[in-house]
Amino acid sequence: MRGALPAGGPFGVVPAPEARVRRFGLEGLVLGVAVILLLLLVGYPLLWLILAAFGLPPEFGIEYFVRVFTRSQNYDALINTLQLALGTGAVSVAIGVPLAWATARTDMRLRNVVHALVALSYITPPYLTALAYIILFGPDAGQFNRVLRMFIEVDSGPVNIFTMGGIIFVIGIHVFAFTYFLTYSALRSVDSSLEESAQILGTRRWRITLSVTLPLVAPAITGGALLAAIDSLALFGPQAIIGTPAQIVFLPTRIYATIGSYPPRWAEASALSLVLVVLTVIGLAVQRGYLERRSYVTVGGRGGRTTRISLGAWRWPLLLFCLAVVFFSAVAPIGVLVLTAFSKSWADPPSLSNFTLAHFATALFHDQVSVRSIVNSTKLATMAAAVALVIGASVAYLDLRTSVRGRRLLDYLAVLPLGLPGTVMAVGILLAFLRSPIPIYGTIWILLVAYVARFVPLATRSANATFRQVDASLEEAGRITGASWWVAVRRILFPLARPGLLVAFLLVFIPSFSELSATILLYGSGTETIAIAIYRLNDLGQIEVVSALAVFTIAVVLVLSALVNLLSNATSEPRAQV
Amino acid sequence: MRIGRRSVLEGFAAGSSVTILGTGTILGSGLGSRAFAQAAGPAEASQIDVAKAKAEGKVVLYTSLDTKIVDAVIAPFKEKYGINVEYFRGGASDVASKVLAEADAGRAEVDMVDASDLAALLLMKDRKLLKPFKSDASGAIAANLRDPDGTWITDRLTQAVIQYNTREFGANPPKSWADLGGSPWKGRLVFFSSATGDGAPRIYTLAKHLGWDLVKALAATKPLRVQSPQVLTQVLERGERGAGFLQNDNIAWRSKEQGKPTDYLFPAEGVPTELGACGLLARSSRPHAAALFFEWWMSPQGQAILVEGGKYSSRTDVAPPTGSPPLSKLKLLTLDPVEYKKDRAKILDQMTAIFGGEWGS
Repeated sequence: MRGALPAGGPFGVVPAPEARVRRFGLEGLVLGVAVILLLLLVGYPLLWLILAAFGLPPEFGIEYFVRVFTRSQNYDALINTLQLALGTGAVSVAIGVPLAWATARTDMRLRNVVHALVALSYITPPYLTALAYIILFGPDAGQFNRVLRMFIEVDSGPVNIFTMGGIIFVIGIHVFAFTYFLTYSALRSVDSSLEESAQILGTRRWRITLSVTLPLVAPAITGGALLAAIDSLALFGPQAIIGTPAQIVFLPTRIYATIGSYPPRWAEASALSLVLVVLTVIGLAVQRGYLERRSYVTVGGRGGRTTRISLGAWRWPLLLFCLAVVFFSAVAPIGVLVLTAFSKSWADPPSLSNFTLAHFATALFHDQVSVRSIVNSTKLATMAAAVALVIGASVAYLDLRTSVRGRRLLDYLAVLPLGLPGTVMAVGILLAFLRSPIPIYGTIWILLVAYVARFVPLATRSANATFRQVDASLEEAGRITGASWWVAVRRILFPLARPGLLVAFLLVFIPSFSELSATILLYGSGTETIAIAIYRLNDLGQIEVVSALAVFTIAVVLVLSALVNLLSNATSEPRAQV
Repeated sequence: MRIGRRSVLEGFAAGSSVTILGTGTILGSGLGSRAFAQAAGPAEASQIDVAKAKAEGKVVLYTSLDTKIVDAVIAPFKEKYGINVEYFRGGASDVASKVLAEADAGRAEVDMVDASDLAALLLMKDRKLLKPFKSDASGAIAANLRDPDGTWITDRLTQAVIQYNTREFGANPPKSWADLGGSPWKGRLVFFSSATGDGAPRIYTLAKHLGWDLVKALAATKPLRVQSPQVLTQVLERGERGAGFLQNDNIAWRSKEQGKPTDYLFPAEGVPTELGACGLLARSSRPHAAALFFEWWMSPQGQAILVEGGKYSSRTDVAPPTGSPPLSKLKLLTLDPVEYKKDRAKILDQMTAIFGGEWGS
């Protein structure tokens, strides 16, 4: 669910412009292939997931669902997952809303820095944040704990990241970005005249904020909190990296364990996956309901204007709070990974004698698996982005420029994966291709399938937004003057849409580059990706090399995200998030 | 129907020429070699065609052995034959589930499998995934440590020891499993298991021989659980925990060799031993290269590299790691892999009940 946060939520559907002429030939071929690919990549695995959960083949039954709820380890996982979602939703409101208010509506200093650092905490892959927090708040060797123990007399701790609270914290400081950005957008578009009226009536400033401003943006806050909660349901990395040693089981890790233990229990994994899907779908439906209630709000009116509130004496406490949040969500985790990557031993304090470049040399040049993983991730992310772009552009084109029947459904199918956890997608793909005559299991191609299937919505939405900005009449003018469909698309649409399409490409490339939750179930010998190398090396305790690889990954993701931002700002459509 | 402690010991003491009681073991449960479809490629070491092996070009190995050792074994082989060995390294369950999933998919990516969980190989044998092959190493390996049908052969034995931090316990180290079960150890112990249950066989072995009460007492100390032996030793080296139970002997050995502040002991009550075994895949598309590598892996030279990494070789003609006692001097506690294979799901449930967390059950 990374990338642009759509105003209408992941399932936000946009009204189609007037019907268009139906054409065949090359057009039909290109679009047809894209549609078939989409059905094969998204529809087919989902079908298998549902079949397998009901015991098919060989026979229909609900015993696996019964098994899911009668075994304590599955039941515990469900309860823990719900707790986690509630916890992170609450955390996201507690820190996301004050931050959004501070940056959107006040004259607080450094608000641009805070805004950028929230974006940074969002684009940092959460499993890397989790690794960083083990280094920071591991109960014994954790760097922050060792500092704290200078002041507090305890044998261990005082903070233990290997707890439910620890996991909620680590995931919370990642997913609060959803609440932050949605609230931020809403606050930016609140018409200040209402607040001013209240002020004229003599209401105090803090009361205005609490009783006028916040209720206006409440749907955005709730919607953001729900997205945060849904995203945390689906994460695999932090739940595995912190949850496993903490002895706390969640649904995604449970699904992984039912397949990763031998013999693989496909049906149970499918049933668990469907439970996770149901949770996600309920969450998304509620979330969409909340966002639609935005209609009663004054936001969105173009004529409104927003004033910044002068904080006076409160500017410093608020700034301190904001800086503390982004320190823990972005600066500290990334900082400690950088320090560790350059340290001979992570458990020793940073110093000149502890400085080394050896881990980068190992990660980038010497370690077989690590080097191969960088090559694989780069290749895969490039291919996935290219394929997703073709599919996404085709779906968007069908939606906006044709009146083909079923294009609505297609659009829905292309957005659906946003609501599906990576682990669940992987189980579906495994089931689908284990039995398929297409022999891609164990090869790099199954990872390509997974990445395209997972991230095609990002390309579709982005392409949709881009094509929307190019008036269809331009292409029609080209057609009237004798250009073929392909020429019209290539010479008129593509050049005009190029920056937007590049954004679409990057929006798929970035999450594919560091994907973990689906990859962990699908990779094989020779197809390790960066996330796998990090995960496996961490299993073997090679924290320093892991950190070097993590720093490299964050650097790549950061540079590309900055590029996305640049391109997005260059086009008129604001896609502010990344 | 079990690989008894005694038979393991005798195997080592007497070499392969002596037939031992209990060697029938897995024979009874396994299928006769006639049951197997005629596998392609060499059926014994003498039939390996090096030219064909080179033409096949590479070998794909799935292994649960420490990567440092795997790299060291592969290097001379690659140098000698110019055949590359690609490997997937994971825990024993990762390895087994990958092989089984590929089989479900009708794929034949992997040529050779090696896992420190014999039950996993027995399951593969049941599913007819392994190929009968008569290794030259058979003569040097006790009969009860290899499949009479030749589908698998033990390559190493891993003993589960107590490792501890010498700064914390230099003067007065723990002496026995029973020692660790007491309340003074609350919050000071560490053990390992992956989320897919790789730590379970040794815990089960301990419980079978010394009682479930001991295991429950260990669990009552609220031990820290880490994901691998490599992380376990780091936790001890840093002094985060005082002692680790059921640690891999080779990892403890290496830590001590490297001068880290740790030491380890083989408790007198008995030491759970885990058989690591390897086999060739029946559907391998590179049978000659795979068999050639298999023979190198099992050869005295190949096994010597495992020993340099701190492993005990299954070969009677390869000495134990430097400074380590011969296995005949230890009281080994063994696991019946047939029973473990059968009851694995139940055992993992038990582990979940006792220790909590994820065991892949």
